[in-house]
Amino acid sequence: MRIKANFAGILLPALFIIGILISSALGYWKTEGSKNPAKYTTGIFEGQANPADIRGSYSFSDLEKAFDIPVETLAKAYGFSGSENPTEIKVKDFEEMYGIIGDLEIGTDSMRLFVSLYKGLPYKPETNTALPQPAWNILNKEGATDKDILSEYSSRVVSLEGFNSSGSNSEADSEQTEEDTTIKGKTTFSELLDWGLSKEQINGILGIDMGATGITVRDFCSDRGIEFSTVKEPLQDLLDNM
Amino acid sequence: MKKKPKLRTWIQLALFILIAIIAVNHTLVESGNGIPLLGSASLHAVCPFGGVETLYHLITTDTFVKKIHESSIVLMLIVFVSSLFLGPIFCGWICPMGTFQEWIGKVGKKIFKKKYNRFIPYSIDKYLRYLRYGLLAWVLYMTAISGVLAFEKIDPFFTLFQFWTGEVAISGFIVLGLVMILSLFVERPFCKYACPYGAVLGVFNLFRLIPLRRNTSTCINCKACDRACPMNISVSTSGKVRNHQCISCYECTSDDGACPVPNTMEFRTNKFKTEEITK
Repeated sequence: MRIKANFAGILLPALFIIGILISSALGYWKTEGSKNPAKYTTGIFEGQANPADIRGSYSFSDLEKAFDIPVETLAKAYGFSGSENPTEIKVKDFEEMYGIIGDLEIGTDSMRLFVSLYKGLPYKPETNTALPQPAWNILNKEGATDKDILSEYSSRVVSLEGFNSSGSNSEADSEQTEEDTTIKGKTTFSELLDWGLSKEQINGILGIDMGATGITVRDFCSDRGIEFSTVKEPLQDLLDNM
Repeated sequence: MKKKPKLRTWIQLALFILIAIIAVNHTLVESGNGIPLLGSASLHAVCPFGGVETLYHLITTDTFVKKIHESSIVLMLIVFVSSLFLGPIFCGWICPMGTFQEWIGKVGKKIFKKKYNRFIPYSIDKYLRYLRYGLLAWVLYMTAISGVLAFEKIDPFFTLFQFWTGEVAISGFIVLGLVMILSLFVERPFCKYACPYGAVLGVFNLFRLIPLRRNTSTCINCKACDRACPMNISVSTSGKVRNHQCISCYECTSDDGACPVPNTMEFRTNKFKTEEITK
């Protein structure tokens, strides 16, 4: 039997079509991942989803299903509280939106670290992996990891200051949504009061009277030679603990 | 008279365009604007080599390496089945990277004429041909221990169809640039010396069920087959071609290639009748 060129040429594309149709009919033709992370196969965590297998293509919704962490918590941790549809946000979006801040990076590995600390699961992050300030606040407030162990990661905390709730830089966008209570450079004392802080709480952290409520916290600090971050963090803690 | 394009040319062009559309569509889907009816398959999802790369993980942990899905396994099996009968026909007729090199090679042929594809001395070339097996071993080992696609950073195919995405490493651009430059001098340089998937499929040439056969009783020893072979195989000295570099392109055959004598160079399971009569 001889095989001519035209027959051979059509054979492989035909095999592709037939193979794809058969595998589709059998439910095996998949061009996307299942979004189910691999599970620990040994040890006390055997059978639980392993955060090390979180991938950039996972959405907040996928993570909620896999690790039982509410989408709202994930969105808040990564500065997406104001997003209209946080369920669709993908982990790989962080790298584009935040990327490298200082020497640290907010990317897929950051989410792996956050999930592991939130659930108290073992995971060794990369050396330059960052944790956003809101994520850090959540871990301190409701994470399953012991505070002593958690403190080892304090040097990885970075501020999302300068980014708005959709992750883009907010220097020209000072509007914050009702749910987003992340303190940013454009946050005013009036907004802090609206979010539920008392004047006494704010003054207690500032060490002086805050004065006019329309002024931004950053401008107030700048005018008085106070480092903004030293005020912002305890104020944010108060907000997160409300 | 201008030569009529062969079926192979059309199939290569169609597959190149299809892969380009899939690659572009995936980018559009990522930004929420995919082409209707095309789905969202990534370049990795439609590459059969991904199936080979993930085999170790699939067997040992029942998982896929990152970016690889079930579709790659399906495509890998289809290509393996076709290779069992016809050898690396995927390389010669389907692979867009091979097609791309051939297109650049046409420019090289115009520049260097008969000298084209004859620059590297055989004494060196015959050893260089085994480089791709070393690269295959490295790719499989690194992918097995890391769980990520080790080849992606130097993969010219990935670079060619993803250069606009920002996901391509500098090394990928360097390798693609080198392949493009070398293609002006050598036909299919990546396939010959570096393609790990070509290495896998090349092995099928050793036991394929339908090999390339030369009818020794009708062959006029004009060596047109040797000159036509993009992989520089010495076809005219073999009765049955089992060279690991054959890509089943049919460029040397009597029906659709350079051989001027009918029924002399063919892909066939059995010997030529005239050969048997002569004996």
